[in-house]
Amino acid sequence: MRALIAATTGLVLAFALVLAITAMGQQTGRTSPKPLLTTVPAHP
Amino acid sequence: MRRKTSLVLLALAVFFAALSPLLRWYAFPRLAKIPANQYQDMVLEAKDATLLDYGTMTAKKVSKVTIVQTLKGDVAASEKIEKTAGRDVVVWDGLSYVQGPDGKMVSEIPERYIFDAHSQAPVHAPGEMVDGDPVKRTGIEFKWPFLTEKRDYEYFDAQSRTTNPIHYEGTRTFRGVPVYYFEQTVPWIQVPFPKTMPVKGITPETVARTGTTRWYTTVRRFWVEPLTGAPVYGEEIHKEELRGGTLLGGREKVTAFAGHVKMREDYIEHTVDLVKANRLLVLLMTSYLPWGFATLGVLLLLLALWLEARSRRPHPAKVPEPEPVTA
Repeated sequence: MRALIAATTGLVLAFALVLAITAMGQQTGRTSPKPLLTTVPAHP
Repeated sequence: MRRKTSLVLLALAVFFAALSPLLRWYAFPRLAKIPANQYQDMVLEAKDATLLDYGTMTAKKVSKVTIVQTLKGDVAASEKIEKTAGRDVVVWDGLSYVQGPDGKMVSEIPERYIFDAHSQAPVHAPGEMVDGDPVKRTGIEFKWPFLTEKRDYEYFDAQSRTTNPIHYEGTRTFRGVPVYYFEQTVPWIQVPFPKTMPVKGITPETVARTGTTRWYTTVRRFWVEPLTGAPVYGEEIHKEELRGGTLLGGREKVTAFAGHVKMREDYIEHTVDLVKANRLLVLLMTSYLPWGFATLGVLLLLLALWLEARSRRPHPAKVPEPEPVTA
């Protein structure tokens, strides 16, 4: 019984961690203020 | 004490064993995405190219034609489309600006490309266009999906506004990066004149009235890093002709542009470095961490079982030493 509780705890923690990470996701940020270029940049 | 330790080890074993597939098949598709606010530029050059001189309407050899390509993510537009699309979407506003050797504009073609942030599949929404013309892409453009496969893909050609197969033609190594090589040939096809022409007063409508048409063919080559789906290098053997009409003064056709377009060296180096860094992140999520966690899970489980077995082993009973027998 205690082994089952231990295994379930591990499983729940794994799901919780992955769900938390994916829920945080990426920050979308803001649209860049830089323009679409009509001159040749000197470097990347 | 051993029983307690083995239970903790068992919990950790299950934790890591479960984390392995969750990371690969649940977290990776949700985390590996093109950022909605991405901004990137690229410079391509065609050395010793042929370019139309609009003053004399003749083709001339020029030292270099430069193409500046910018892609800029519109965050507000992507958030608006996501509400109805139900998935993460990226809206790229792009501009292909072509410049002659004298620094003057040859053509500029804007476009809006809307796609799924992870799968790269095109998403259709109002505003999708090339040079102001509404289009409905059915293939990828600029980038391949994460975990690119060894197969042909449908690739959108902005000049002709058509989607055609781009063929997988083998695995290669480009500057130390394993890549898939793709090639697409767009056969001669009539294409619209750019809305912005290099000569003031000339518009696509005025050219259309002369009966002259614009034709184009290209061989497009991409060296794609398969984990990120990012091209590390690209080339085009590009030809454009004006055909027929009164604009050519009786000539059947004249070359408008012909050149072998290649990425500028500093941009190749920059792209390769960037892709190498991103490749490592994808490898971590799809291979290193899942396999590492799975192995760790198995080892912890074995350790837990071993400790459990030891704790259950009966302690040997103390056997009294035989007393010495005296005769």
